[in-house]
Amino acid sequence: MLETRLGRLVRPARRALCVAAVAAAFAGAAAHAEEMTVSVWAGGTGDADMYRIDAIKMAADILSRQEAIKGHELKITVEGKPYTDWDQFKQAVTLAGQAGSGPNIVVTGHEDIASWAQSGLIVPVEDYLDLDAWPISDIYPNLLKIASFNGKIYGLPQDAESRPLFGWIPHLKKIGYSDSDIAALPGRIEKGDYTLYDMLNDARKMQDAGLVQPGYGFYPRVSNGPDYWQFYVAFGGKMQDEKTGRLELDKAALEKMYQFFIDAVKMGVTRKNHIGTPWDQWYTEVATGKAGFWDGGTWHYARYTGKEGLKDFFGSLMFSLIPAGEKGGVANTLTHPLVYLVTKQKDEHLQEVASQLVAIASEPRINALHAIKSAHLGISRSEAHIGFYADDRWTREATERLLPHAVAMPNNTHFGTYWDVMWKGLQTAWQGQSSASDAVNAVASELQGSLGDAIIIN
Amino acid sequence: MGSSRRLGLLFLAPAFVMVVLFFFAPTVLTGVFSFTTMSTSTGIYGGDYFVSEDALRRLASEGEDQLAQQLAGTSYKIDSAGIEAVRVGEGGAALADEIAATLAGQHFADQREAERAIKDLNSRPRSIRALKAVVEQFRRSVAGARFADKAGLYAAVEGAGITLDEAQKEALAGASWSGWHWTVQNFKRMATTPDNARILINTILYVGVTLALFHVGFALVIAIASHYLSETASGIFRGIWLLPRITPSVLFVLLWKWLAWDTGFISRIAALFGAAPRNWMLDTAAHAWVFVVLINGFVGASMGMLIFSSAIKAIPAPLFHAAEVDGASHWQQIRFIILPQLRWPILFVACYQTLSLLASYEQILLSTDGGPGRVTEVWSLAAYHSALQNYAGNLLYGYGAALALVLVVIGVIASLLFLRLFRFKELVTQPRIEI
Repeated sequence: MLETRLGRLVRPARRALCVAAVAAAFAGAAAHAEEMTVSVWAGGTGDADMYRIDAIKMAADILSRQEAIKGHELKITVEGKPYTDWDQFKQAVTLAGQAGSGPNIVVTGHEDIASWAQSGLIVPVEDYLDLDAWPISDIYPNLLKIASFNGKIYGLPQDAESRPLFGWIPHLKKIGYSDSDIAALPGRIEKGDYTLYDMLNDARKMQDAGLVQPGYGFYPRVSNGPDYWQFYVAFGGKMQDEKTGRLELDKAALEKMYQFFIDAVKMGVTRKNHIGTPWDQWYTEVATGKAGFWDGGTWHYARYTGKEGLKDFFGSLMFSLIPAGEKGGVANTLTHPLVYLVTKQKDEHLQEVASQLVAIASEPRINALHAIKSAHLGISRSEAHIGFYADDRWTREATERLLPHAVAMPNNTHFGTYWDVMWKGLQTAWQGQSSASDAVNAVASELQGSLGDAIIIN
Repeated sequence: MGSSRRLGLLFLAPAFVMVVLFFFAPTVLTGVFSFTTMSTSTGIYGGDYFVSEDALRRLASEGEDQLAQQLAGTSYKIDSAGIEAVRVGEGGAALADEIAATLAGQHFADQREAERAIKDLNSRPRSIRALKAVVEQFRRSVAGARFADKAGLYAAVEGAGITLDEAQKEALAGASWSGWHWTVQNFKRMATTPDNARILINTILYVGVTLALFHVGFALVIAIASHYLSETASGIFRGIWLLPRITPSVLFVLLWKWLAWDTGFISRIAALFGAAPRNWMLDTAAHAWVFVVLINGFVGASMGMLIFSSAIKAIPAPLFHAAEVDGASHWQQIRFIILPQLRWPILFVACYQTLSLLASYEQILLSTDGGPGRVTEVWSLAAYHSALQNYAGNLLYGYGAALALVLVVIGVIASLLFLRLFRFKELVTQPRIEI
């Protein structure tokens, strides 16, 4: 009887204890598990470039598994936001960043690093990563340098590319080029033997032969972009003084560059109103032989052979460096790697995790998925040895022919202003609203007024 | 009387708040921003002291070359102060002892060398972030470092063995400040940029032509034409002219682009007559202006049309009946009845649409984006391009605001002129008779 009474008293207490123990166990587990959301915004990202975001998702999975093995439950949710348009993307990142609602990881052009680092919008990934450890130790040093500012590595290269001159082989043949001439052309261009003006002359021949419409002989990029700096460099221009780190404007080189586009219009091989042509129209035209020569990007391979349906890429297109402006000059191409950047957060742990994700996403096998799918070039030595990457003819040939000669834009806070003013000058010269020398003088005057000592004007 | 006044003020309060928040505050902020160096690289909220390469260049250009040279370069020294900081910090005693035993007295020229040395130790921190924190304790240089305040900056410089006098302190603080500061440079730049004179002329041309031809002229034509149609027909007619206004701008401009580009409708039709395809919108400066005026004109004409139509409706019908009995033609009715009655509505539409056109840029942005060769760049679009568009991610808020402030000033002057023209005081005077 007594036992029964005691039992009645003890049983609920025992139950309560059990419930408390289970609850405590769950509470402990819950306290141990860590959940976080990492947002990734990627600029200039179309369907073919989705691995820029997907690579971070793959990295999140790997990092979670690593942490689980160490006894730390980490659940990372990756929220991706691709932007096809650069202007909208840069507005969104900068304005959201100022408002404190920006993403954790940004995929953008390396030229943004200077301004965004200066304002503290991004943090150096170097602060959270071991640079001697793989895969960072395996990334091409020149790409890491492009992702640096003030001697610190702010981002990790997400891809590499370059911007070649393309020529339509069937048209070249019809104006007298033999197969061996065409095969030798990239080499002649590299030596400075075949210049930009030689290219305009060939473009004119294509038009005169009725192979392409007037204005389609040389059919360059249809909007502002890094490509146009290649033409400035082709005439001997420098963007930055290596010694002092200040920006540099070479008026003579810029005038020759502007004059080149004025001459292209005068010769009738480039349209006066070319800038503003819709991109879709441009892609279709260059991939179907409606243009003679044009400057494009290595990633265009995916578009030409994919959406535009170009069957025989290597039989249809000659690709090379951008020719020198004058005989004996230096041919070049520009590489404009996109980089993974980590933004400043209130919780430094988030910055650390984001940096780790970026490092894992840079592992060769993961990066190769993006490189091959989007026709970009790899970022590390090991990537070149992965069969999936090495077997791809385009990435192999483009890397060998172009990358050793690639220049990059400087990471300088004032470069955006310089670029804007250079582009305005080119537009006015191209449209015939001012002569090359007047346009250059206006550029120099505006840069002097706006940048002062930050730029050297020669 | 007192309570009804309070009640009136109470009713007006929401409107007052809206005006302050959405009209007055943005205008004041535009004015404030325009006198600053604000950009993406300076941020909006403040800044810190960042001893960047750019800051050292600025310091050198201000006559402190020697100090700039002293501050350049990085240095890490394994000294007792650093070891003690590691001991009491996250590193712990074991690591501090091992550093003291194996690395004491060593110098490293950069952070990575120092990291490698500590990474080789048995008691090294396991996390990279903790390792970097330990290395930071031995930093004896300031190049590349950021400091929240001047005191931290000066202490770090002194820690690096450099003594600063007051003038040097101020020069260093000024050169390394990463945030914005007050300036009139934006206005100087605006005044000395040769392009801006042309942009101003473009703006006057755009506003004048669009206003005269469409916002007032064409709106008047539609309103008068629809007055002489039957009720149903005039309703349909006016409805059609409302379409550009109610169609989303992006879609509306895209339709124009389809019409105008090389493979578009006009080129296809022109090809039937042997004309080579071309981008009709961007072919020449004249083409671009025609399209810019047409696109904006069709969007803006609807407002004038509605106001003028309502005003014509308000004219007493007997006037028209009497005119018809007297044998007046439609033209005579327009000239002697309609137009005199529309004087105030025309002035109002002209005033309102002038201000509206001065500030509008979205259709131009979407259609020509100021091209070809910036011939259709208007002032508001230039302000947008400066403040919100930059390929290298550095949006120039200060300069963009200065450009926008010019529009605010022009708008205020134009409003005052229009108020005089309207004889606003007469419109709001008390009636002279008791009702």
